[in-house]
Amino acid sequence: MLRFLAVRFGRALLTVALVVTFAFVVLRLSGDPATLILGPEVPPEAIRAFRESWGLDEPLWRQYFSYFGAIASGDLGNSMRDGRPALELVADRIPATLALTVPALLLKIGIGIPAGVYAAMHRGGPIDRTVMLVAVAGFTVPSFVLGLVLVMVFSVQLGWLPSGGRDTWLHAVLPIVTMGVGGAAILARFTRSAMIEVLGQPYIRTASAKGVPWGAVIRGHALPNAAIPTVTIVGFMVGSLIAGAVVVESVFSWPGVGRLLVVAVSNRDLAVVQTILLLVAATMVTANLIVDLLYGALDPRMRRGAGQGAH
Amino acid sequence: MALAEASAPRPGLARPPLGILLALLWIALMLFLAVFGDFVAPQEFTAMDLMARLSPPFTEGHWLGTDELGRDVLSRLIASIRVSLIIAFGATLISAALGTTLGFLAAHFRGWVEQAVLMLADFQAAMPFLILALAVLAFFGNDLTLLVLLMGLYGWERYARIARGLAISAGAQGYASAVRQLGGTPRRVYLRHILPNIASTLIVSMTLVFPEVILLESGLSFLGLGVQPPMTSLGNMVGYGREYITRAPWILLSPAVVIVLTTLAVSSLGDWLRDRLDPTTR
Amino acid sequence: MTPLLEAEGLARVYASRRGVFGRPVAVRAVDHVSLRLGRGETLGVVGESGSGKSTAGRLLLGFEAPDEGEARFDGAAMPPPGSPEWRRLRARMQMIYQDPLGALDRRLTVAAQVKEPLDIHGIGAPEDRAARAAELLAATGLSARIGARRPHELSGGQRQRAVIARALATRPDLLVCDEPVSALDVSIQAQVVNLLSDLQAELGLAMIFISHDLRVVRQISARVAVMYLGRIVEEGAADDIFARPVHPYTKALVSAAPAPGKTGKRILLEGEPPNPAARPSGCAFHPRCAVAVPRCRAEVPSLADLGAGRRAACHLVAPLSGQEAA
Repeated sequence: MLRFLAVRFGRALLTVALVVTFAFVVLRLSGDPATLILGPEVPPEAIRAFRESWGLDEPLWRQYFSYFGAIASGDLGNSMRDGRPALELVADRIPATLALTVPALLLKIGIGIPAGVYAAMHRGGPIDRTVMLVAVAGFTVPSFVLGLVLVMVFSVQLGWLPSGGRDTWLHAVLPIVTMGVGGAAILARFTRSAMIEVLGQPYIRTASAKGVPWGAVIRGHALPNAAIPTVTIVGFMVGSLIAGAVVVESVFSWPGVGRLLVVAVSNRDLAVVQTILLLVAATMVTANLIVDLLYGALDPRMRRGAGQGAH
Repeated sequence: MALAEASAPRPGLARPPLGILLALLWIALMLFLAVFGDFVAPQEFTAMDLMARLSPPFTEGHWLGTDELGRDVLSRLIASIRVSLIIAFGATLISAALGTTLGFLAAHFRGWVEQAVLMLADFQAAMPFLILALAVLAFFGNDLTLLVLLMGLYGWERYARIARGLAISAGAQGYASAVRQLGGTPRRVYLRHILPNIASTLIVSMTLVFPEVILLESGLSFLGLGVQPPMTSLGNMVGYGREYITRAPWILLSPAVVIVLTTLAVSSLGDWLRDRLDPTTR
Repeated sequence: MTPLLEAEGLARVYASRRGVFGRPVAVRAVDHVSLRLGRGETLGVVGESGSGKSTAGRLLLGFEAPDEGEARFDGAAMPPPGSPEWRRLRARMQMIYQDPLGALDRRLTVAAQVKEPLDIHGIGAPEDRAARAAELLAATGLSARIGARRPHELSGGQRQRAVIARALATRPDLLVCDEPVSALDVSIQAQVVNLLSDLQAELGLAMIFISHDLRVVRQISARVAVMYLGRIVEEGAADDIFARPVHPYTKALVSAAPAPGKTGKRILLEGEPPNPAARPSGCAFHPRCAVAVPRCRAEVPSLADLGAGRRAACHLVAPLSGQEAA
């Protein structure tokens, strides 16, 4: 188990290192980092100080390591627009993004998993067909189109809900629904196919042939086994929460991290972009790590296999 | 061309269902508009008619209405279809070529080359592509060539995995190792033998990646970070049309419908082809 | 004169794990294999599955590098696999496979594939190559109409003929056939063996014929080597070996093979079939040997020259000349 954890943790660190390397390479290819990070209107002393603290006069491989060092110590540069530390700026926006993404995630899980399980158990029924149809739509309708259609219906035509901003909880309804619906459909489709596969396994048939009540078979055997692929998808959804928020926050002018990223990209506010990039990588890596741990809990075979390897 | 060949009736292939025929019809229409758009478009897509601003659809001369500058929505739509399809085509081809090459390299050299390719593939699959794309655009600024190249990085890992797996199994004992043992160079083995043999699988993957690239490009353009004016694309039209969502919803509705129908058509075609031609992928 | 092919102490060692987390075990798939093959000679290699005969064939062709020992072709050491010299050498040594369908590209016509070695090695003017391919097909008994077809449209025997035509395209000096007929219908087997035999005689090919089937080997080979768990246990002229096998394993094989007018009882092999991952100590055959003595369990017998072109690896076999003198 320890070795299993160590390997997973090592892989997570490696991924973060890859993202940092990616940022370093892209930053280097795009020009002088000092002016790029600090902006053109910074006094020469500041540039000199920056160059020194980031070690820009040193050979490239040393810069690469100092870059790691700077990031590890939380020095991610200042925003070009208002001069505040980029980390602070991003941190300020996190609650707003969480206010959308967490309810949206709960919506996805709360609708997607039960719908998928139900659809798998009643294959070919009306719910099953609806789930499949909505799942296709969830994939082909981009979130900005869905969001705008919801605005047209609920804000413009019916006037029930506001179309943008973040003043009351009502403002959060449309963005949460926009984010949640597509994800719920995708999750339902995955859960459905995972369940169908598990239900076809011999041990399920054996259990029900032995006279175990069907409900107990589902709860005791089918659900835990179908949970493994489903957990992977949920993990990926958690990891890509911020990415999903980028478009939806822009549609609804919601002042979260995603909106900040779009603004920062159009202003080429590199310190902020870089910070968000690392934030996304960290979220993703953490989510993957949790998924891996859950695997260990869900699948005793994996735990035992890893345990054997350690001895 | 490849699609047309693959979908042509063959012995053992049932006639495509109605939905697939409709999808093919829609794709044909889109390709026709992308190629011959200039001859079909009623007007120049940048031509302004300030007297006829925000005319609703079915106005004479403007079947899909006009936008805030009096430009004909149908003409702009045709121009957008062309740009979006060209970007998606170019990007899909780049990504297929890149991924297949890396997959072949991994299969040929094994060892650390293979590990490096697989690690990059895992990374690419795990990291949200939109964020990486936005970061690159922020650092390098915006430009159409860069946009196509960037989109061309999308999905390469799927081709790489497929190409690697199939090349390894072909080389293990089959025709590929026979050609190698005849004295053929790796170039001949991979390009003349393995590539044609796995082409159908790769084409199926391309039809599945293509709609995702359309969605990605339209998303970026919607955010104002993809295709830049005066050029126009489907996502771009939706993005600018959003300002007039209350007064002139037709500006954004027609490109939105085209995005949804095109992704739906291409991805159902891809699913169908996968089930028919290539039971090996998933 | 240097022999065409000469192998000295070839060994191939694979690491094999028992179970997912087991410790890797070194498996000697081929061990201490030495042989010589002159121009135009035929050598049959016989053994059960797991005897290492196919691996030995691949080592002799230089498809993989041996872990120990050396194979020399025409007096020169085998170049490393995949190198340009190695590729050039392919024109002179070719292989016939057990599964002809797997060895052919299913998307190309048979004629195009028979022509391919000519393209690879730049033999003949490009415009003459198609005619040469048709000639090769005719020589193996395939018509031009069959040449225009793809592999899956051919019968098993036709496919193997196509593979043979392709292998002969570059006029090689050496042909290694690895179970070339075992995947074919019994009725077709004799035809393909006869074809190989005729072509061998006609073209003066040196040929190594690998098979588990003694009858087939006997039909085509002047000399025979018997392999058991990676080692050659007996070698000699084919007629001699079949008439007077000396190694207990060869005796069992020969007695099991039906032959016209043969009498005498069959020796049944008992015990576990050979497993390269669990090689018995001493003489690897001792657990199944009816005449084993304690020494067989402890000491690996070396392949001793018995005179008259015979070699055998058995503690209980004395040199033929010595036997006569005693």
